Amino acid sequence: MNSKFIFRSILAVAVVATASCKPTLKEITPSKGSADFTRYIAVGNSLTSGYADGGLYLDGQQNSFPLMIATQMQTVGGGSFSTPFFTAAQADGTGHKKLSGFTPTGDPIVTDVPAQAVRGSITLPGFGTVALLTKYTGDLNNYGVPGIRLNQITYAPLGNVNPYFERLLPGNSPTNNTPYLNFVTAKPFTFFSMWLGNNDVLLYATGGADTPSDFPTDKATFTALYNAAANALVTGGAGGTGAKGVVATVPDVLSTPYFTTVTLQALLTAVQAAAPTVQAIFIKTGAGVSRPATTADYFLLPLKAANVIGVPNASGYPYGLDPRNPVESKYVLDKDEAASIVDYTTSYNNTIRSVAAAKGLALFDANALFKSYAAGRVVNGVAVNASYITGNLFSLDGIHLTPMGYAIVANEFIKSINSQYGSSIPTVDVTKYRGVKFP
Amino acid sequence: MKKILLSFLLAVPILGYSQSYQVNLQGQKQTAMGGAGTGVALDEAAVFFNPGAVSFLKQNGVQAGVSPIFLKAAFRENGSNVTEYTKDKLATPVMGYGVFGSPESRLRFGLGIYTPFGGAVHWDPNWTGKYAVTSLDLQAIYIQPTLSYKITDHIGIGAGLVYALGKVDLKRAVPITLNDGTSSTAELKGTSANFGWNAGIYVETISGVTIGVTHRSQVTAKVKDGDAIFNVPDALKSGFPTKFSANLPLPATSSIGLGFHPSAATVIAVDANWVHWSTYKVLAFDYNNNSRIPNTSSPRNYHDGAALRAGIQNQTTKRLALRAGAGYAFTPVGKGYVTPEVPDANRLLLSAGLGYKATDRFSVDLSFLYEKVMSRNETNIETGLSGTFKTVAYIPGISLSYKW
Repeated sequence: MNSKFIFRSILAVAVVATASCKPTLKEITPSKGSADFTRYIAVGNSLTSGYADGGLYLDGQQNSFPLMIATQMQTVGGGSFSTPFFTAAQADGTGHKKLSGFTPTGDPIVTDVPAQAVRGSITLPGFGTVALLTKYTGDLNNYGVPGIRLNQITYAPLGNVNPYFERLLPGNSPTNNTPYLNFVTAKPFTFFSMWLGNNDVLLYATGGADTPSDFPTDKATFTALYNAAANALVTGGAGGTGAKGVVATVPDVLSTPYFTTVTLQALLTAVQAAAPTVQAIFIKTGAGVSRPATTADYFLLPLKAANVIGVPNASGYPYGLDPRNPVESKYVLDKDEAASIVDYTTSYNNTIRSVAAAKGLALFDANALFKSYAAGRVVNGVAVNASYITGNLFSLDGIHLTPMGYAIVANEFIKSINSQYGSSIPTVDVTKYRGVKFP
Repeated sequence: MKKILLSFLLAVPILGYSQSYQVNLQGQKQTAMGGAGTGVALDEAAVFFNPGAVSFLKQNGVQAGVSPIFLKAAFRENGSNVTEYTKDKLATPVMGYGVFGSPESRLRFGLGIYTPFGGAVHWDPNWTGKYAVTSLDLQAIYIQPTLSYKITDHIGIGAGLVYALGKVDLKRAVPITLNDGTSSTAELKGTSANFGWNAGIYVETISGVTIGVTHRSQVTAKVKDGDAIFNVPDALKSGFPTKFSANLPLPATSSIGLGFHPSAATVIAVDANWVHWSTYKVLAFDYNNNSRIPNTSSPRNYHDGAALRAGIQNQTTKRLALRAGAGYAFTPVGKGYVTPEVPDANRLLLSAGLGYKATDRFSVDLSFLYEKVMSRNETNIETGLSGTFKTVAYIPGISLSYKW
């Protein structure tokens, strides 16, 4: 062997080595399994629309879980997915909350970003004044309508009173009469997600159980409508040849920051700093009784911002500190009201589970997921929990999610779909999505 | 050419290097021989491999070398179809040795400068594991003055004092969203200077087999008042620390090596290393301001690691020596503790190299080491980061030496 030969050999090895420098992991081939994702539609409420920070705006829409799922579905034959985006010029949409700083005592200062996509308003007899939003025309896959209740999906006038639905319809309020369920099934589709039912109990809860018109939907009505919706959707819409889909349970609203941030202890501590003798916060219950609050009662997030505790009324009684001037019912979900909300939620979820099983639909148990995150979990090095602002899961309104929260939800939907239909839609990278923005 | 290549690849496995952030590239000859060298008196690098063998070197000499590490790690999150790779980032561990004194005398002196621990792992700043780590640059350079004494004609002992200079620069994302929607970041930068030792015995047996036993002590790299640079929202900034302290163990290594001399031209070296990684229990950072973040203590719970290495050198012609080796290192990182700053697993090492004596005094040594870190699917118990890691490294090396 001469040395030239050796040098050439070494060079050859070096060349081969450099060429194959990347480690290669085992190939994976995403598959659609027994489902067909050619046209996926998302049916639901604010959570489906991407609503966040107390409003519907472009950034939230761009981080909606249906868009994330649809993007991932494109690796397994999914088609294009259209979201009714606000334009860049009207990116703030209906307006939304933002965190602008902290008080010297560390309380968050949350301010409002004004709306940009309001085209006017209309006063409807019996409903009051309703805002009219900039119309969206064009293809539609994300049919999420903030505020919609299951018991409104067959209600023809909804397109006149719900501004989010009105903006998707071709006609102007008050001329609309297409029910939501007819609207979403007007075109054929092959796959759907349906996350409805939240508002049938949520709106009652967030209003402190103080608004009779928000009273939870009757349980039997809920079951009948949920079956009707599922029956309509599995047909695959007008001209369709059947669709598969995924449905989700109603989360436990009482574990959201809207109900857990303002606690009895926190209120007492704040009051006692100035008035050490105060031992109780008085509330007005749903039954109209004024009594000291217990830890079984829930105070609502807006109570903090309202800044009313201790303020004397006309008779000189300090707000919340005297039985004659208790915290109003709209700021409180008392023990009995909370129990009623849990009861309705449980009943709705039993319906959702049994319908999913009967129709062979994938089921995402959102109720279980949110309970597990409320206790605190770590996702790729991020502490995710139900703490207001710092928990990374909930946006500034304390009910709707951050982009990171929606990404976690998207992955749970994907896992449910994959497990039901034998597909392997890739999950999204949760760490690519943000929590609450800090100034 | 193809034939040459094939025969070369099949016939000449090469040597290997490392475990976790330990680097085993302390001499080009030894690197080319699988990293074995405890039981042979090959060259000046004996200052590192076995101070007891230094007094058996036939000539005095100095050498200097470098082994640039081309390392690529891959990660794919479970459930995802995206594979992420570390960026090309060169780590360049250097080594230099000198042996002095009269070759006839029983007492010899040595000086070694080498890099037994280090790493340069740079992920994309926005990768999936960014909240665990985005980059780690770690380097510990040991400076080791050494005495070696021949007790008899066949037994030598030696010991060196180690002065260890450490440098660490760790970056990661912090899960607090800035106003522009991106993540906050943290960088921890610091240096350390600590002491340790290295000692060995070298024996020539009657059968001709040579035996070496060495122990290199643990050095605990202590970083005091390192810079903690947090890029966080202005509203929170005052609550974040500016300084940190941390201790990182650079573990002890015990080795036993055998040298076989089947002919005057051929040396075979076989080593077993026991690396006392079990002292690496936690990676802890103490901060000078805890109002926003607590001190952290991340469990590592390493167990001891072992490596087996074997290599051969053949003095093919008067001027040319050919070398080859192989090794296998057992990871010290247990299930659930794999982290992306050191995505460790069992690893296979293959090496080859050659030495060319240009003149009686000058020679050049080349080595090439291929290291395959086995693919490993893990869910970290601290961060929940779950996926498959796989790493390969290509490490060419060169050293120049001068003897007198």
